[in-house]
Amino acid sequence: MSLSPSAIAMLIIGVTVIYGGLAYFLYRALKSMKK
Amino acid sequence: MVEHWRTRFAFVMAAIGSAVGLGNVWRFPYICYANGGGAFLIPYLVAIFTAGIPLLILEFSVGHWAREAPPKTFKKIGEKWEWVGWWTTLIPFLVATYYVVVMAWCFSYMVYSLDLRWGFNADIFFLNNFLGVSGNPEIIGGFRLPVLFGLLAVWICIFLILYKGVGRIGKVVLITVPLPWILLGLLTIRGLTLPGALEGVSYYLTPNFSKLSDVNVWLAAYAQVFFSLSLAQGIMITYASYLKKKSDISNNAFIIAFADTGTSFLAGFAVFSVVGYLALQKTVEIDSLGISGPPLAFITYPTAISLFPVAAIIFGFLFYIALLTFGIDSLFSMIEPMVASAEGKWGIKKTQATAIICSIGFFASLIFTTNSGLYWLTLLDHFVANFGLVVIGLVECLVLGWMFKISKLRDHANETSDVKIGKWWDVLIKYVAPIILILLLIFSIINNIVNPPFGYQAWVIVVGGFAPLLIILILSFAFMKIKKITKVEYKK
Repeated sequence: MSLSPSAIAMLIIGVTVIYGGLAYFLYRALKSMKK
Repeated sequence: MVEHWRTRFAFVMAAIGSAVGLGNVWRFPYICYANGGGAFLIPYLVAIFTAGIPLLILEFSVGHWAREAPPKTFKKIGEKWEWVGWWTTLIPFLVATYYVVVMAWCFSYMVYSLDLRWGFNADIFFLNNFLGVSGNPEIIGGFRLPVLFGLLAVWICIFLILYKGVGRIGKVVLITVPLPWILLGLLTIRGLTLPGALEGVSYYLTPNFSKLSDVNVWLAAYAQVFFSLSLAQGIMITYASYLKKKSDISNNAFIIAFADTGTSFLAGFAVFSVVGYLALQKTVEIDSLGISGPPLAFITYPTAISLFPVAAIIFGFLFYIALLTFGIDSLFSMIEPMVASAEGKWGIKKTQATAIICSIGFFASLIFTTNSGLYWLTLLDHFVANFGLVVIGLVECLVLGWMFKISKLRDHANETSDVKIGKWWDVLIKYVAPIILILLLIFSIINNIVNPPFGYQAWVIVVGGFAPLLIILILSFAFMKIKKITKVEYKK
């Protein structure tokens, strides 16, 4: 059993959007705190 | 006097603590499973961006602008809207009455984890041995003592922490927020290494496009976003009112929304990997495993814990402590708006307000500790999330978007925020979110009338689902009408 292409696509979208978004806004917050 | 968060970090942690809770690790997996696994994820992500993040920014902005509890905040918008503030304050109390029962389950499971009492049949143990579920909601039965004692312990705990004030919450969540994430991550790794896990993950991630035409899946997705992000519950308005004047609004909203969604997404892997394992063990399809609904997390997590190669008892004990702390953060936030509102309206001391609210909460929760408690809990959760939160979210959009100058709130948010929000936000609040929510509500109400939820008797649905929502709506108007009691009158 392996993941279907649509499941892999969903995984990539989910990880990129959710954790990528979190990392980006945490980075922005840390940057503004240093100012 | 308005209390303030000690640091921005404390506020972000407290707001994440409120947003990240049992809604992510307990509710998200079972709602996702009930709505077809991967079929649910697309509506869920759409709901985050079209309603979740915009409403979170809206609630932060209005709370920070008004610097008052929700009733006074809406009164500032217009005298006649005070009831909306009371409505948003009372609904989390309704959520708290059953949320605390799920925490009581966690409390009992923390004790059971010391000898892994659920054995290798976690489903039978949970439903029969622990809850002793009766045949239907009409057979109330007696109290389940382990649940009852857990309930009492959790309410006492909440009282003791809450009455000390918001500064104390900040201190508590600094410890309670990171620990559950670490343990959830470990549990996910264990789940993913079980035989059959990939089947479960595939069910979780594979989108079923035919389900996208099902209005119930969409409503469940929006309701889950509202529940999970603590929206339409006055919570974020209250928390934002404690922020200092120059605090960032929009960036905090994005961080909290993504942290919350990320936790749900991770919990999905932990639960569905075990679902795949259980389906393989029982040689049935995932769809017909028969462990749907609120018990799902109390079957899958214990199963994964029992299968830990080493230190299962220690891990299980820590995991349930972590779940309790997850829940406690959120429960603080559900009670806090009511306490703040009661203090503001009637000048009651914080200790007294907390004691009264916690006592009422305890007695209101008792029905969920009986043999039929699971049925009533499932029903109330369905109505509160799908209709209560979604309707209040809609009313918030309409009142703040149309009865108030929404650009004023946007300017207020942009004044202190690092991430500037554009006019797209006004469009989402004024048009996109209300249109989607109105359409979903119309279709879903028709659907619920034609096909009564869970196949319960009409009177059960009225008493357990419809009546509580109606009562808090009436109370909202009543509280608005009751004049403020001055301190002199109060002393008399």
